Amino acid sequence: MPKSRLPFPDRVYAALLRILPFEFRLEFGSDMEETFRMQRVETAREHGFPALLRMWWATIADIVRMAPREHASVLWQDVRYALRMMRKNPGYTAAAVMILGLGIGVNTSIFSAVNSVLLKPLPYLNGDDLVVLRQRGSRMSVNLGVSVPEINDYRQRNRSLTGLVEHHSMTFTLLGRGEAHRVRAGVVSAGFFDLFGVKPLMGRTFVPDDDRAGAPPVLVLSYEYWKTTEGGDPNIVGRVFQMNDKPHTVIGVLPSIPQYPNENDVYMPTTACPYRSNPKTIESRDGRMMSVFGRLKPGVTMDQYRSDMAMIAEGMKRDNPKFYPDEMGFQTAPSALRSDLTTRARPMLFALLGAAAFVLLIACANVANLMLARMARREQELVIRTAVGAGSGRLLRQLLTESLVMALLAAGIGMLFAAGSIRLLAQFAGQLTPRAREITIDGWVLAFAIVCASATTIVFGSVAALYSRQDVASGLKEGNRAGTEKSRRFVRSLFIAAQVAFSYVLLIGAGLMVRSLIQMNRVDVGFTPQRVLAVTFDRNWSKYNSAEQLRAYSKRLLEKVQSQPGVLLAAVSDSFPLDPEMMDNGPRRFVVEGDARPESEWPPVKSIRLASPDYFRTLGIPLLAGRAFLESDTEDTPHVAVINRALARQAWGNADPVGRRISFDEGKHWFAIIGVVGDTKEFGLIRETPFQLYGADAQSPDPNSVLVRTAGDPEAVTNLVRRAILDVDPETAIAHVETLEQARADSVAEPRTTTRMFSLFAVLAFLIALAGIGSMLALWVRQRTREIGIRMAMGAKPSNILVTVIRQGMLLVTIGLAAGYLGAVALTGFIKTFLFQVEPTDVATYATVSALLLGAALLACYLPAMRAARIDPQVALRCD
Amino acid sequence: MSDAQSPLTPAMFNVLLALADGDKHGYAVLKEVAEQTPGEVQLSTGTLYGIIKRLLADGLIVEVRRHPAIENDDQRRRYYHLTDTGRGVALAEAERMEKLVARARSKQLVRALKPV
Repeated sequence: MPKSRLPFPDRVYAALLRILPFEFRLEFGSDMEETFRMQRVETAREHGFPALLRMWWATIADIVRMAPREHASVLWQDVRYALRMMRKNPGYTAAAVMILGLGIGVNTSIFSAVNSVLLKPLPYLNGDDLVVLRQRGSRMSVNLGVSVPEINDYRQRNRSLTGLVEHHSMTFTLLGRGEAHRVRAGVVSAGFFDLFGVKPLMGRTFVPDDDRAGAPPVLVLSYEYWKTTEGGDPNIVGRVFQMNDKPHTVIGVLPSIPQYPNENDVYMPTTACPYRSNPKTIESRDGRMMSVFGRLKPGVTMDQYRSDMAMIAEGMKRDNPKFYPDEMGFQTAPSALRSDLTTRARPMLFALLGAAAFVLLIACANVANLMLARMARREQELVIRTAVGAGSGRLLRQLLTESLVMALLAAGIGMLFAAGSIRLLAQFAGQLTPRAREITIDGWVLAFAIVCASATTIVFGSVAALYSRQDVASGLKEGNRAGTEKSRRFVRSLFIAAQVAFSYVLLIGAGLMVRSLIQMNRVDVGFTPQRVLAVTFDRNWSKYNSAEQLRAYSKRLLEKVQSQPGVLLAAVSDSFPLDPEMMDNGPRRFVVEGDARPESEWPPVKSIRLASPDYFRTLGIPLLAGRAFLESDTEDTPHVAVINRALARQAWGNADPVGRRISFDEGKHWFAIIGVVGDTKEFGLIRETPFQLYGADAQSPDPNSVLVRTAGDPEAVTNLVRRAILDVDPETAIAHVETLEQARADSVAEPRTTTRMFSLFAVLAFLIALAGIGSMLALWVRQRTREIGIRMAMGAKPSNILVTVIRQGMLLVTIGLAAGYLGAVALTGFIKTFLFQVEPTDVATYATVSALLLGAALLACYLPAMRAARIDPQVALRCD
Repeated sequence: MSDAQSPLTPAMFNVLLALADGDKHGYAVLKEVAEQTPGEVQLSTGTLYGIIKRLLADGLIVEVRRHPAIENDDQRRRYYHLTDTGRGVALAEAERMEKLVARARSKQLVRALKPV
């Protein structure tokens, strides 16, 4: 009886049965309907309406209760079948699971970084209310810190913050614990830890009394320092450390939390820091060294906060115009702490996530192709299963289950991949954000891997299932088979072209980054970094209070180092080019003697270096005019300066600056220019050469580093130089030892790591795509063995067959390449910020990558083509 | 996990019992179980066919093509037949219960039970 003519109750029952699995209904549905009909009729007839109602209720409850169990049973059956099929095809399974696993793994590991760095809230109490306040000299493109008088202004005048605290980091030398060692100290105002909501693990943090002038110096230790250096001593609170010539008492230990804005060994209040408590620092409005953090008052928006700060800045400019000259373009740069900490990491992580998504797309396309190829072989099985009564829905579910099982296995591999790569990733992200140490694998990462797996299941599982339905239909009707095969081949070809296109885009991206890195390495740094060793050290602050003491120290140091074997030349200076610890102190303005022009008309000096006479020869910086410093330039002779070519050109054009006198303090002190030297890259390879001035160390001594040009390998003299420095003063802490070649290499560490990551993804994607092309052609050849045999028997030469097969493959590669070209042109604009002296449309990169891709693809096509050309017609004709 | 190893539930045992004296269709089984166990074993169509699926899979019953000669019988109905294995399983279950009752009797527990 057609369903529409059934009595209404029976139609309701039939509808109810639809919640049961399809196969169950197929097997028992009509019998159940018949049984129910008889039960219903008899119950109504013999027991009346109430009994009928009870029967309905029992029936409905019963079916609702049993449905999940029946579905689970079918799913379990499918999973077992899928596992059996996978065991039967270990090669296919391993290839598909590995390729998908790699795709999911790459995405999962990048996502773990995105999740921890960009998505998770800050690990502080109400972290989203925390803000950071920076200042900028927008016309000079410099970021400025905040000075003490400015901090006081912001603190007193703001209406948007509940608290405002300061922080700066300094290194000090800790004495009395074996060899003097250097500690990084965070100098903070009282309330710093309360603002962040950090409770001490032991003892207490700073209270306002610790921050009053004359308070006894106290220290709070970081968890890591307490653990590693103090061995987790439970009685540490109350211990006294000797630092800066003063005893410092430990009052507390911090918990193990990420430290922002940077990691310190110890923390001290502002009054304990000899630099910060110096009246000159306290009064100096342009001593902008501090970082400032605040917490928004409830209900205050970021916009309100920004305009509040801008208003205060306007007031400061009005009250102290001397410190805010117009050409500086002074402005505040307030932002949420969360975004401030990740500004540099964000574009990079998203670019990498984009690249990783491409790898996954390629992996999906590849596995879908593998699956289609296997479908062709399973056609017979599917036809038989349909013939014995498996519905098309059943087959669809079976195929999706197989895909899901495979994708979940791949997700497992992906998680392993992500877990294995976490350290590398944290190291990479550490160059961009202090949040890198928070990178972990958590529930969200696991969920992401599962979502990736499910998405890939839907993509490649549905494709396979869709084509399997056509197979089944056409398998039963022989006539349609050719048509199905044709459309399946079309889809496979599409996938191949897509893989080529995606990998081309990635290769172009990587190629541009490699080109950019090459450009960076080609940059002329202006000095000869080979065989130069740089040793940075911290002298005991409290011991050298006068220029006289420093001068004597500097002289002794230089003599001692120069006398070491293997040392050709040596110099003492306050810093050196590409010094990772160099601080950008902002621009300094000067006036020229005998020239009425004001400061603002002269170029701003962005780097002042104090150096001993052999500094230029040691570094190999060419002297272009005049002379370098001499031993005869002493505290008793007029102050002299050497300038770089950029400054000479900008200030005096082609005129000779030697003999001119300049002043940075409106004529109180004059420096006579005695020479011009070549330009050097001071702040980084990709930053422009600053206007630079060198002063004589003997006249303004500030020895912080020793530079040594050696006869042989500079690393060989490292220990000698260290020993020499400690011999001169054992209370010196050696901070950093590196060759200038290392310093140069380190200055491009960040783009180098990025390029490596991107290239790794691109190569991975390309290899997957190549394997895809090769395997598809191999299948094509296998399916046409007989046809090729016939053609050869009819007189076709092996070379004809070779060309035919290669043409098949290369046609798809060319189509993919064309599509990839369009994609690359559209997308590489996004990585423009990572490029240096390379346009996103760089012709050389496009040409090289295209040639590389075509060459490799040709090789991938050649292997199956060779196999086709070697087919023996005799054997081939006997094939099915 | 194999269905064959799953224990025989009272409902399954009752379905086997219902088929012990001849082949029956679904509704006949449902009716007989209801009549024989008033209020004890509540079978609805869903549970019944879930049990039939399991018994078929375990080979305890089979579907028979030959329908018994009953007047007005609908040819679309499916009849089920207790296999030798099914009979053996039902017998083993009955014996197990008998032994249990015997033990209960030996402990003089049964006397304490109210007569049904």
